[in-house]
Amino acid sequence: MGISRREIGRSRAVRVVLFVIVGVILLINPFFLSGYGQGVMTRFLCFALFAMSYNIVFGYTGLLSLGHAAFFGAGGYVVGVLKLRYDITLFWIGFPLGLLMSTITAALFGIIALRATGIYFLLVTFALGQMLYSLAWNVKWLCSPGMNGITAIPLPDLGIPGVTLNSTSFYYIVLGFFLISALLLHRLVRSPYGLALVGIREDESRMKAIGYNTWFYKWMVFLITGFFAGIAGILFTYYNFFISPKHLGISTSFLPMVMSIIGGLGTFLGPVIGAAIYILVETLAGTALPERWPLILGGLFIVTIMFARKGIWEYLLRLWAETSFRDGSTKS
Amino acid sequence: MDWFITNMLNGLSYGMVLFLIASGMSIVLGAMGVANLAHGALYMVGAYIGWTVVVKWKVNFALGLLAGALGGGLVGLGIERGLLRHLYKQLNEQVLLTFGFVYILSNLCLWIWGGMPRMPFTAKVFMGPIELFGIVYPKPRLAVILIGLILAVGLWYLQDRTRIGAVVRAGMDDKDTTMALGINLERAFAFIFFTCAFIAGAAGVVGAQLLGVHTELGLDVLLLALIVVIVGGVGSIQGALLGGILIGVIDSFGKAVFPQLAMFTMYLTMIVILIVRPTGLLGRKI
Amino acid sequence: MEALRVEGLTKHFGGVSAVNNVSFSIEVGERLAIIGPNGAGKTTLFNLINGQVSATSGRIFFLGQDVTDLPTHLRAHLGQARAFQIISLLQRLSVLDNTLLTLHGTKPSRFKMFQPVRQFTEVYDQAVETLKSLDLWEKMDEPIKNLAYGEQRRLEIGLGLAIDPKLLLLDEPSAGLTKEESADIINIIKKLGQEITVLVVDHDMGMVFELAERIIVLHYGQIIADGTPEEIQADQRVREIYMGIEECIDHAGVS
Repeated sequence: MGISRREIGRSRAVRVVLFVIVGVILLINPFFLSGYGQGVMTRFLCFALFAMSYNIVFGYTGLLSLGHAAFFGAGGYVVGVLKLRYDITLFWIGFPLGLLMSTITAALFGIIALRATGIYFLLVTFALGQMLYSLAWNVKWLCSPGMNGITAIPLPDLGIPGVTLNSTSFYYIVLGFFLISALLLHRLVRSPYGLALVGIREDESRMKAIGYNTWFYKWMVFLITGFFAGIAGILFTYYNFFISPKHLGISTSFLPMVMSIIGGLGTFLGPVIGAAIYILVETLAGTALPERWPLILGGLFIVTIMFARKGIWEYLLRLWAETSFRDGSTKS
Repeated sequence: MDWFITNMLNGLSYGMVLFLIASGMSIVLGAMGVANLAHGALYMVGAYIGWTVVVKWKVNFALGLLAGALGGGLVGLGIERGLLRHLYKQLNEQVLLTFGFVYILSNLCLWIWGGMPRMPFTAKVFMGPIELFGIVYPKPRLAVILIGLILAVGLWYLQDRTRIGAVVRAGMDDKDTTMALGINLERAFAFIFFTCAFIAGAAGVVGAQLLGVHTELGLDVLLLALIVVIVGGVGSIQGALLGGILIGVIDSFGKAVFPQLAMFTMYLTMIVILIVRPTGLLGRKI
Repeated sequence: MEALRVEGLTKHFGGVSAVNNVSFSIEVGERLAIIGPNGAGKTTLFNLINGQVSATSGRIFFLGQDVTDLPTHLRAHLGQARAFQIISLLQRLSVLDNTLLTLHGTKPSRFKMFQPVRQFTEVYDQAVETLKSLDLWEKMDEPIKNLAYGEQRRLEIGLGLAIDPKLLLLDEPSAGLTKEESADIINIIKKLGQEITVLVVDHDMGMVFELAERIIVLHYGQIIADGTPEEIQADQRVREIYMGIEECIDHAGVS
């Protein structure tokens, strides 16, 4: 391929430098930001995780699922209900239960949705997500009095005497979850299972012929992405103080999709970049033109599709491809 | 017996609205393989334009219907010619693009007409109740059933009996051969898309008699359309009609018996169909 | 021992029967070719044997086991390997990735989620060996679409063989290949041992007569002849249906 050792060395150096810069930013930014700013960073990390998990099912496996917010919101609703109905704010109860709910929801959705193929799959995942939305809207038990959704959800109680979380410490918790999740997802993507997902995206028929139970792989992808979307959703709910049916529905389901495409579909860090861009635009629009935010968001969708389909990551991807040449990773 | 008739008529009228909403979406999906998620937004545009003509300017309902239909049709055509036609066969991109228009059109309607929801409106001639089968029943609902039936017949005729219908069905089955036969598929597609958007706009005005007009319609109506398409199957007027009426009736009786269930009966029907017959009751394989 | 047995196999597509009451069996180690005019049902027959399509009626037995309702991936585990009419390798992925995927397909490690693929050294080494023997090791990082068609075909068949199948299904292996590339493929198949049973569908009569010990002729979904190459050559009905067969046989220099 004609890439010199020096080029590889230089690209690798660039990669490391980039990582270090971003890492430092992520670690020290709370000290330079107000509570609001820290909140924005926390929100970014939650969405970045959501988008990364969605990218596994959409970018890597090629399944266009429009119901993924259901897994994001289901965990959040468990946290909300625990506070609203049982006055439980303990993290060690809320988090595991919420995660369980997200994963079970994903498992059930998977069983139903995978009966459909092609366009129908899309329609079905959409409708399933909206079903949960409708449930959250109509069932009074799931609503704070007088509204749709649950409010007054505080930051979690860690059960350690004398320790209460504030926005800064919570940010670091979210960062921790984000980094661990990113690491796990990265390993997943490079594993035999991850390679098989790409194979299924490219030619499911061949994958069956060489021995892969493709239904099972696809169903597991629902579980896995539901799990990580659940983590994102639970942490988001604590940050957001409030969860609403909208967090279960299509408008939230579309966000990780937009982020993944802007950043670069099927690349590992593309969704994170996409999330950063989205949060940036959202924050700017929120301060300048809040009433026209949906218009701007819709415009963002259109611009992304018409002009940025390969994603911004495409340029950086070449650097990655070249540094990945012989260091043992698989290129897909 | 009265209870039964009332709910049956409720179901039929609502079902007709559902049919009108879903038919356009189903045809575009089946004929062109395009998932147009902005379909509900086109309904909404038609409804708002219809409201402006009928309620604000106090012009007659038929013209309002036409205006709404044209509005929907033109906006739809604009989206298709301008952007969507570059994305044939790219499902992911279509979905994202058309959904972007849901946001854009909803926000534009909000900007132009404000956030107050509009009450259901109808033609002067349809106002008030009528005695029928021993019960008293609102005329607008009957009007919906009537208009729906007329449109259904018209669309069926278009689909099964005209040349353009044959082209659509040929294109659905084998695009390459159809094009090789010298048929201008691009123009046919633009025509189909316009027609389906036109129907969506018309549905907006017809449906406004029952559902009123508000800025959340873009999404709400899209969801209804999708459920009907899943149940009835993609690609045929008959499927949309069967799906629409089935769901309308189930929903009406469901609400009458279990009012707290709201939209649940619809979702339940959808899930049952998915388990028993994943391509819908009358669906064509896409 | 029978490698494959097919009984009364029928497949209807709407009003058409692509395969109509087909019955035959193959012994382990046999080299069987199926020929017939286009549309005779050969690919449908393969799709039935390999599981891409389900039978309208009839039964399929693979190594004594009834696999009629068994999903494709499980048939791969029982030992079926297939090369498709249109090369099925994943075009956008590299040679190495395709190899690793194929090798893992019948191994339990295919479910592993937390270790990088390359850490499965046994499989990786096998991949290296396979690619070296196919003379494709230098191109390991090339996406499949950059390879010549003949190389792709060689790789597809080579990968099919790398998992030690019991039955090799070759659907028009010579399609799109030059004379040299075809000869290449013929050599690969000739070198195979008696544990593997080979079922070939092809139009290249030269290849068919060089490889096959037995030929079945399919026409409109039905078997019209089943015998040795000499018997088939002599069969009058076959000659009528397959006009031009004499020319092909003469050209291939088969007696």
